[in-house]
Amino acid sequence: MTEAVVIARQFDDPLQQRTASDLGMWVFLATEILFFGALFVAYTATRVHDPQAFAIASRLTNLTLGSINTGVLLTSSLMMALAVRSTKLGLRRASIAFLLATAALGTVFLGIKFTEYYLDWRDHLVPVIDFAHTGPHAGGVETFFYMYFFMTGVHSIHLIIGIVTMLVLAWMAKRRDFSPDYFTPVELGGLYWHLVDIVWIFLYPLLYLVSRS
Amino acid sequence: MIAHPVPAVRTYVLVWVALIVLLLLTLGSAFIPLGWGNGAINLAIAVAKSLLVIFFFMHLRSAHYMLRIAATAGFFWLAILLGLSLTDFAVRY
Repeated sequence: MTEAVVIARQFDDPLQQRTASDLGMWVFLATEILFFGALFVAYTATRVHDPQAFAIASRLTNLTLGSINTGVLLTSSLMMALAVRSTKLGLRRASIAFLLATAALGTVFLGIKFTEYYLDWRDHLVPVIDFAHTGPHAGGVETFFYMYFFMTGVHSIHLIIGIVTMLVLAWMAKRRDFSPDYFTPVELGGLYWHLVDIVWIFLYPLLYLVSRS
Repeated sequence: MIAHPVPAVRTYVLVWVALIVLLLLTLGSAFIPLGWGNGAINLAIAVAKSLLVIFFFMHLRSAHYMLRIAATAGFFWLAILLGLSLTDFAVRY
């Protein structure tokens, strides 16, 4: 590598510059943790209010598609980690391939998620638009589906941003923007992707596994 | 050129295998009637999966102490948010 990394004047060396970027990203991720945290508090509050309704409603979600999707997202995180590793080692082709694989698995996840949304709509489980569930706990069931659509919806928006980021990173890698001396965008994109994965790791049991036994 | 200590591919693949095994465990355990135990197992497994992702995929295991502090702060505030919000519900029902 002959070309030197550009170091902004406030930094002493590339390592300090990179650590500053990572620190900024972790601070942003802390705000994301709190943002989703508020949703998890709202979920818990509504669930404690009517636990039986959440048990009934959770059984109405599509466990097969939800479980497959969890596997898809965990695998996408492996691809992401390998993309960061390849970029650090200067393996350009592998880096591009892993970034595209991450984006592809993210797209598969969204495809399955939107298929689920369609099935929910067909089963009249979409609050406001078409909700027709009846029974003693109908109100609580509807609340569950408010939470379900809002939480998975916000998660999907994060995933769409992640997929676009991966495509841009792959394009930058193709343009030879990265080297073993400079890979900050891939590193930060990776941190974001993994956090979105962690949010789903918690959404999965809270939405799909409340009462299956 | 700066030499970066990167974990072996094998490490990442093993973490992924562990994540999938934990996914199957949480899915399987959901079908065994354990009362409140089901929810506890689900949450414990979710925390375990998250820690694997944070320490290995997000490299917090080998990160600069400032990054660890920032990450810990995020989860610490989350604990306050959850803890103090739920004290109300713990005593009301």
